[in-house]
Amino acid sequence: MAAAVARCEAAAFLGRWRLLLGGARAYNARPLRRRLGGVYIPDPSNPRTPEWQLQPAFEAKLYGRHGAASGVDPARLWPTPQQLAEIEAEERELWPALRDMEAALDVKEREAETKRRQREELIAARMAKMPQMIADWRREKEERKAKEHEEKERRQRLLAEARERFGHNLDHRSPQFQELMQEMEKARRKELKQQKKQRREEALAKKAAEAAAAAQLPAVEEEAEVETSLSQTT
Amino acid sequence: MAAASGLGGSSRSKALELLRTLPRVSLGNLRPNDGARHREKRRGRGRYGGRKSGRGHKGQRQRGTRPRLGFEGGQTPFYLVIPKYGYNEGHSLRRQYHPLSLKRLQYLIDLGRVDPTQPLDLTQLVNARGVTIQPLKRDYGVQLVEEGADNFAAKINIEVQMASELAIAAVEKNGGVITTAFYDPRSLGVLCKPVLFFLRGQPIPKRMLPPEDLVRYYTDPMNRGYLANPSKIPKARLELAKKYGYVLPDITKDELFQMLSTRKDPRQIFFGLAPGWVVNMSEKKILKPTDEKLLKYYSS
Repeated sequence: MAAAVARCEAAAFLGRWRLLLGGARAYNARPLRRRLGGVYIPDPSNPRTPEWQLQPAFEAKLYGRHGAASGVDPARLWPTPQQLAEIEAEERELWPALRDMEAALDVKEREAETKRRQREELIAARMAKMPQMIADWRREKEERKAKEHEEKERRQRLLAEARERFGHNLDHRSPQFQELMQEMEKARRKELKQQKKQRREEALAKKAAEAAAAAQLPAVEEEAEVETSLSQTT
Repeated sequence: MAAASGLGGSSRSKALELLRTLPRVSLGNLRPNDGARHREKRRGRGRYGGRKSGRGHKGQRQRGTRPRLGFEGGQTPFYLVIPKYGYNEGHSLRRQYHPLSLKRLQYLIDLGRVDPTQPLDLTQLVNARGVTIQPLKRDYGVQLVEEGADNFAAKINIEVQMASELAIAAVEKNGGVITTAFYDPRSLGVLCKPVLFFLRGQPIPKRMLPPEDLVRYYTDPMNRGYLANPSKIPKARLELAKKYGYVLPDITKDELFQMLSTRKDPRQIFFGLAPGWVVNMSEKKILKPTDEKLLKYYSS
């Protein structure tokens, strides 16, 4: 008992001394469990031996724990050629090479970049059209407003006219007002027609005058030609 | 099956003998297998049991006819009212990196729990009980975070799985070296619990490459990735020093230069041990393969 305590104290002192020297506490794995019965080696002929103890993994485990005393041939710790071929095939399938992964990433990034650029270009193109579109929209709005205003004024005027004629306020849905409107429309059309006619007549007169002027012109031109030829000869 | 075949011919004759002497199988001697039948539970027997049998008074509670979980009596239940959004999509598949702050690292060094005169990797950190890594819980290692960056004052050569920029700067400002490296779950288990692995008597596996989405991280010298071009790392170190405004110590003239320049091969798991070797703890031996195919596999 006393000896054990003394040993503990000595170990603690040594540990403290190492720390004081600026070192670190070393990590020591726990000592392996002492097996008084010797190395357990599963008996394959015994039917009570569990199946998992007859697998190669358990053999490797025995070797890992007891070393050469387990009687396991260390060459069996590594995969056999067939197993190695299987492992390699699996790795080829599941773990692509670094170069392949980088190439795939390059392709992906390039695609994403082109997609982003295309989108940005589309946005820029549409944004360039934006001021013109806004201006158009504003103008249209103004025009619409002016038209509405005009329409309103016209109706007011008509109503005022109707009131003047009938001497009292008229509803714009009343048949008298509608009649008046039709009458006025007729008058307006008549006037328009007349104006059109007048314009056409004017245009015809103008054309006739021009034709007359053209008929007179060629004679004058001929005279001018004669004059120029004379000047060239002299 | 294996046991039957192992017994050989004597057991077969014994079985035939048995069959001869036993009665014929008939409805009279058939019965259910052991454990196939349960005794019916009989409620309301014994002292105090005859009243309610611990199920309270009347209703769905007593009769065990309660509606399903989440049912709110016909009203649209809560779990259908709240729209779902993919914040937690794939959370069970995401890689996890435990944070290791510079403060904690300094604490471990100050207490002598890790030895800064040796290169530090996950083995040292786990042995010092600085971090707990569970590879089966989708842990992929540790990330060095910047808490305690102002007080960090150790010169170390550390390998972590991810590191923030300021953490890298804090390590390099003190003349240390940092590397970020990827370990696949199997290698991570080997790295965190080496003794248990050596007791399994298996050859040390080779470390696998990172998945495609991590390739860019580990090939970037700015992250001090282990797959980055080593000739580009000094430039990145200088750039970082300029960015954070410190003078980068020249480690080539350091007395610990040998230790500071130690790096693992991308296929290597332990410092000083190559993939394919078998470490035997009881005999204190290392076995190395000699077969050319094996050597080629473990070195590729």
